[in-house]
Amino acid sequence: MIELRNVQKKFGSRLAVDDLTLTVPRGEIFGLLGHNGAGKSTAIGMMLGQVWPTSGAVKVCGHDVASHRALALHKVGAIFETPAFYDYLSGWRNLEILSHYTAPTTALRIREVVDWVGLTGREQSKVKTYSHGMRARLALAQALLPGPELLILDEPGNGLDPEGIAEMRQTIGRLHRELGLTILLSSHQLTEVEQLCTRIAILQQGRKVFEGQVTEVRAARSKVALKTPDFAAAVAILHERQLINGSSDGRFLVLKDGSSTADVTRALVSAGVAVEGIWQHEQTLEDFYLSLVGGQKKQSNDHSASSSEHSMPNRVVQRPPQREP
Amino acid sequence: MFLAQLHNELWKLFGKKRTYIGFGAFILAQTAMLLAFKFTRWQSDFERLLSGNGYVPTEFISALTVSVVMLMPQIILLMPLYATLVGGDLVAKEYEDGTLRMILSRPISRVRLLLVKWAAGIVFAAILVLVLGGTALGFAKLLFPWKGMFVFAPGMAFSIFSPGEGLGRFMFAHLFLVVNASSILSVAFMFSCFNMKPAAATIVALSYLFVNVVMESIPFFDRFDNWFITHHFRCWLLVFQNPVPWAQILQSEITLLAICATAFVVGCTAFYVRDIKS
Repeated sequence: MIELRNVQKKFGSRLAVDDLTLTVPRGEIFGLLGHNGAGKSTAIGMMLGQVWPTSGAVKVCGHDVASHRALALHKVGAIFETPAFYDYLSGWRNLEILSHYTAPTTALRIREVVDWVGLTGREQSKVKTYSHGMRARLALAQALLPGPELLILDEPGNGLDPEGIAEMRQTIGRLHRELGLTILLSSHQLTEVEQLCTRIAILQQGRKVFEGQVTEVRAARSKVALKTPDFAAAVAILHERQLINGSSDGRFLVLKDGSSTADVTRALVSAGVAVEGIWQHEQTLEDFYLSLVGGQKKQSNDHSASSSEHSMPNRVVQRPPQREP
Repeated sequence: MFLAQLHNELWKLFGKKRTYIGFGAFILAQTAMLLAFKFTRWQSDFERLLSGNGYVPTEFISALTVSVVMLMPQIILLMPLYATLVGGDLVAKEYEDGTLRMILSRPISRVRLLLVKWAAGIVFAAILVLVLGGTALGFAKLLFPWKGMFVFAPGMAFSIFSPGEGLGRFMFAHLFLVVNASSILSVAFMFSCFNMKPAAATIVALSYLFVNVVMESIPFFDRFDNWFITHHFRCWLLVFQNPVPWAQILQSEITLLAICATAFVVGCTAFYVRDIKS
């Protein structure tokens, strides 16, 4: 549904997006993750033909956005972090106005969408009387009016209270289940992305540092927690016996392929180190994200980044940023 | 589809309270001028001017005469102010409010969007001028009789007309006033397409206008009159000359229409290459 190929965007001398290659397949809920200023909104702007790429190609729904924008966006809906409307007009009038920029829309269709998002009864009120949650629903309604196949959500949870965020999460799930939409969700809220998305890409300073399945992330980054009176001695013994790749935070171990918790326990006990507890710890997306982002920062600050995990005491394994070929 | 989009654009424009500031200001100004004309020396000076030229003042101090007297300063001062206020808002305000990003997530082309907005601006300019003329005549009719028309604009017109012919010329002059308002609105619209605040677009357009006024008033620039937009703005007064200098009017109208077209094309180009970001 979305294909970015070697896209670069410069604002003056500032590089906002650097050599970004990204594919969002049909039917996915794809998460675009990164902190503020990472280049997410610029990437989305390029997908919607609002920002011109300096180089590279952007295709949406099979059409090049730069040369065939109307075709590319015909079946696309978008919601931005702070949905802006004509506050002095009614919700209904706003929907009429915005939908006419795509195609003539019948009152029946507007009614259907208003019902779907749960704004029935308030659609004739002026938008300035709407709560934040209602504005979010109106934003969703305008995005759904053209009957989209692809929905682009740029930081949709921003400014919402926890209840609103939960509601939004449920709605995104509904959109995917009931309407079968492909969804691109940009966010810096890791839990949101982790709970909703099937696949993610992480941006850092305009570059993609990771792309993969959320489950893949969890599996690849699982580690073992060890509770022992002398963690440093335990790590030294386990390294000596070549059972681990690294350690972090004074309690986590990354096992080598073929090693098990039983091997670790046996080795430590035989060396006289007490084992008070050992268990599998599944790394959250947040941990993973921070390890990647931290790694990138470190790399940019220190060009002589070591490949050894020992040189980075706070990280389990400092996986180098993955780049598309 | 274009008409539906234009209809929606007009909804947006006329749904805003600030759109009506101009209309309100006109009504206030006209009321003040009308009372001033009636109750100060202004009227007696006019009567003296008429009698000094051999006319009977009571035959020409009429609703038509007073309405043109009221229009002249408003066309120079208020009309450009409110046309630029709305013109400067057309694109820049949408960008500032964030609604432009919502619109441009739709498959409408930027040129089409600007065309719709500009057309809505022209409709506003026409309504502004027609309301201005209509209220001027209506208010004047409340206090003055329906008689012959006397028009005096130094260097432009010194004429008298029967009530029927006077009304015809008065209405015809509004056609050119609409072009005036559209031209200055187009200039503000052009600046609005650049990356600037709505107030800045309005101020820059007004500054352009004032620079024209100032330069035009400097004797050195007399030979360059045709280069100043304000020179062409006065062509509506030529309608009251006898005989009507059609060639001069045509020249001014073509210049003003060319300014409209140029402003639109420059605005479109600037807007087309812009990145629209929050």
